[in-house]
Amino acid sequence: MKPLHIALIIIAAIGLATVISLYGNTAQYVSFSEAEALSQEHPFKEYHVVCKLNKSKPLEYDAQEDANRLVFFAVDSLGNESQVIFNKPKPQDMERSEKLVLIGRHKSGVFYASNILSKCPSKYEDAPVQVGTAKN
Amino acid sequence: MANELASAPIQFQGEWLWLGNTGHAVVILAFVASLLAAFAFYKASQDDSGLWMNWAKRFFVGHSMGVLGIVIVLFSLIFFHRFEYYYVWRHSSLALPTHYMISCFWEGQEGSFLLWMFWNSVIGLVLLRQKSTFTAPVMAVMAFAEVALSSMLLGVEWGSFHLGSSPFELLRSERPDFLQIPILGSLGVGNYLQVITDGNGLNPLLQNYWMVIHPPTLFFGFATATVPFAYSLAGLWKGGQDRSWIRPALIWSLVCTGILGLGIIMGGYWAYESLNFGGYWAWDPVENASLMPWLLMAAAAHMLLISKSTGKHLFSAHLLVHLSFWLVLYATFLTRSGILGEASVHSFTDLGLSGQLLLFLLAFIGLSWWVSHSGSKGRSRIGWGMALALIGIPLLSLVIPESASTGFSSGLKWGGILLFSTTLVGFIQSLMKETANADSAENEDRIDSREFWMFLGAMFLILSLVQVFFATSIPVFNKLFGFKTAVPQAADYNRVQLWLAMPVMALMAMGHWFRFRQTAPEIWIKGLFKTVGLSLGMSFLLAWALEIFELGYFLFLFFSVYLITANAWYALEKKKKTWLGHGSSIAHLGFGVLLLGVLISSVNQRILTASTGIGMAPERNEKGEIDSKGIEFNRENAIVYKGRKAPFSYYQVEYKGARQGAGNDSINEYFLLSFRDTGSGDSFVLEPKTQNNPKMGLLAEPDTRHFLNKDIFTHVSYQSSLDKTEPFAGFKNDTLRLGQTFTTSSAKLALRLDSFSSYPSPEGLIVKLKVAASQMGFGSGLESQYQYLYPQFKINTQSGAFESAPVESNELGLFLSIQHMKILDPNPKAENLEFVMQTGEKKPVIPYVVVKSIEFPWINAVWAGTILMVLGFAMSIAKRIREQRQLLA
Repeated sequence: MKPLHIALIIIAAIGLATVISLYGNTAQYVSFSEAEALSQEHPFKEYHVVCKLNKSKPLEYDAQEDANRLVFFAVDSLGNESQVIFNKPKPQDMERSEKLVLIGRHKSGVFYASNILSKCPSKYEDAPVQVGTAKN
Repeated sequence: MANELASAPIQFQGEWLWLGNTGHAVVILAFVASLLAAFAFYKASQDDSGLWMNWAKRFFVGHSMGVLGIVIVLFSLIFFHRFEYYYVWRHSSLALPTHYMISCFWEGQEGSFLLWMFWNSVIGLVLLRQKSTFTAPVMAVMAFAEVALSSMLLGVEWGSFHLGSSPFELLRSERPDFLQIPILGSLGVGNYLQVITDGNGLNPLLQNYWMVIHPPTLFFGFATATVPFAYSLAGLWKGGQDRSWIRPALIWSLVCTGILGLGIIMGGYWAYESLNFGGYWAWDPVENASLMPWLLMAAAAHMLLISKSTGKHLFSAHLLVHLSFWLVLYATFLTRSGILGEASVHSFTDLGLSGQLLLFLLAFIGLSWWVSHSGSKGRSRIGWGMALALIGIPLLSLVIPESASTGFSSGLKWGGILLFSTTLVGFIQSLMKETANADSAENEDRIDSREFWMFLGAMFLILSLVQVFFATSIPVFNKLFGFKTAVPQAADYNRVQLWLAMPVMALMAMGHWFRFRQTAPEIWIKGLFKTVGLSLGMSFLLAWALEIFELGYFLFLFFSVYLITANAWYALEKKKKTWLGHGSSIAHLGFGVLLLGVLISSVNQRILTASTGIGMAPERNEKGEIDSKGIEFNRENAIVYKGRKAPFSYYQVEYKGARQGAGNDSINEYFLLSFRDTGSGDSFVLEPKTQNNPKMGLLAEPDTRHFLNKDIFTHVSYQSSLDKTEPFAGFKNDTLRLGQTFTTSSAKLALRLDSFSSYPSPEGLIVKLKVAASQMGFGSGLESQYQYLYPQFKINTQSGAFESAPVESNELGLFLSIQHMKILDPNPKAENLEFVMQTGEKKPVIPYVVVKSIEFPWINAVWAGTILMVLGFAMSIAKRIREQRQLLA
């Protein structure tokens, strides 16, 4: 065994470990009910839930009461609904969003999101027809 | 498509079709010329008469002129606001200043391919000036790359199959719905351009100085990655033992690493200046896409250096150069195919070109395979079979819709994966065989040689790449294998990269203290001892001063200090023939400064607006440690009311009010925040802005105060005008002349009709009144207490129709509308006018903003380190070019 080969084997082992731990540690997309079940086992792990904002229920944000608290209801792809608490101001495009990815934990019936990624239907790309007034 | 409307063909008025047709023509010219050039350069590499070479050069120059032509035509269309062209309508608008018109140029995919192609042809012209046996084969590869790139602009369609997407498509063919706009019924469809008066505009986030120079820098970096690849192929073509390709490839790999690195940091600086995620690096897939080829190209450059100096590791040098070019193509595929979808905030939309992009990636891997087998028999038969399969499989999967037969398409997918892997393995195997003799066993690296440590450094860089690669490619693997893995967060990267960066830093620090082949023990042992000793002392002091005690961060701190110290010491101690010889020390040192800046500005960053509230105590985890990401998170935003002060850590911050931008900038609202340092008493004003963009919703752009040792970064998270407000009530009408005073129904506000102005507009006469309002009570009537409101109305001069434009002020709780205007005297003097004013009222709301302020300590080290690094690269490149000249002279 030459020193270079030993070093290479060590590096390859670290690389393999990195990739395995990446897939082991990275969260899976789950439903609210799965997040609830998993959160009971691992209360400090975060889960990703793909869902939609329930627009028929109120979205509460009162900056003067608490600038860091947003409460709303979301429905995941299986139709489960959950209350969501987010300790940040309301994201600006929240109501326009088509899909939300919530990252956080489920605890006693409430999903505590640490981050929200919102996907808007057509951010910029298919903007409505730009119609001006006729030129003279 | 538009012909449903009328039986006779419609004559569209006012279109500059000739210019777009010229554009199409130059695209075809550029494509055909690159195809001819690629073929002629290939022939020229096998023919010494020079006949093919002459033609090849002409074709390539013709191609370059074609590319320049495309650039000129596209820019003219944008410059003259020809909104009949889809690209111009989509990406620009009348209001854009010229320097941002340049940014529109590369906002779209077609434009960015054009930019890449432009740089490639510039590099090609530079390479053409050199007279060497490499010119023909290298240019053949460059021209082949141009074939691939220019085909992206062709815009040819056969049924569901696209070949490229042209930037010269007409708006009416891309968006036939525009011809259905109701108003065209009276104007006539042919006059549709009279209605399309303005374009969609440039994404406001991209309207930034850095967005003018960041993409060209990045694409120049991408384009330079082709050159070492081309030299490697040319070297392999000559035979696996050839080493003459290494010197020129090394120069270009240094150019690529330097420029790409600069481009990446420029992108980070843009993100820091105009996005509100609070930082310059978010491990976004788009950022990673350019980081990956950089990491590998940096490793490749070092491998080339080893090969140049010792003749060893030829196999690794070839392989890394190939991999880094493939990664550039893979990065393009990732960002342009739409596969990242929700993974990225700013990935580009799918133009339906993912198949074509994949095809190029595979074609270039196939090319590597083919050339590496150039020595073996039966190559051409297997080669053609492989090539056909490589092209056929993605094509079939494009033509046959996925719904046709799931069994068949999954068969194709697995077939493709199998073929891809065998090609890759075949290439590596053949490359090993071809280069085998050069890597003879006697030439094994000694542990006290520079090449041993440099090789390890390159391997650790690749290790870092492996993590980024697998994490960024998760959406690809999800799609291929049906996984449901979530997209990794920044923390998932940081956790691993923190440790992976340490061996790289250590090797970058000690590498210089070793000589190639063998080093006398007293040199390297002494070198190691003094630099490690000094760095240890310095890092303990720094750790104490900066309060960085966590093991991982402390080690990172130590290694970055060691990287800086060891290289600075080496540069000071070591005499070089020319000062340019210190390039590598300076580049390494700069990288150390950059990483030190990254560490301090992230670990010691402070959210000045953070607060703890009732019930907000951090939870403890299973181990009983305080869990900083507990169920109750940090409360990172603070509210500030207008005219009041709030403490942001050691700053006293007053919100002075908002102002609307002027002219073209009127879409932006600026929030004036006055900061006063309670310790030193120094004060400054920050004006973060928000933009209520009709297409993108509300956007917030931060404002940052730069100090030498820290930055104060501030952005608006929420503003009071977004609140739903209660309706106005207590409406009351008053009939008044100018100068008269009146009150609202509850008499809480005193009002005065101040002055009047009018101006004509195409829709009629617009009349504007200036009304002064103040709260009743103490101090009322003082001029300083007044706020001014400007209600308007419009009279249609023909019909006499009257239209009021009321104003509302939540701050005063006042609604004000002009109900009527009466001219009392035929002489229309201002004092002869009588107005009926309607007032309404509600509870006044004090305006406020919710803001987040972050202190980034020593972030300037990140930028300073980058500048040093680029300087170091420039010096090394200059040194290598000089060497090359001396060698040829």
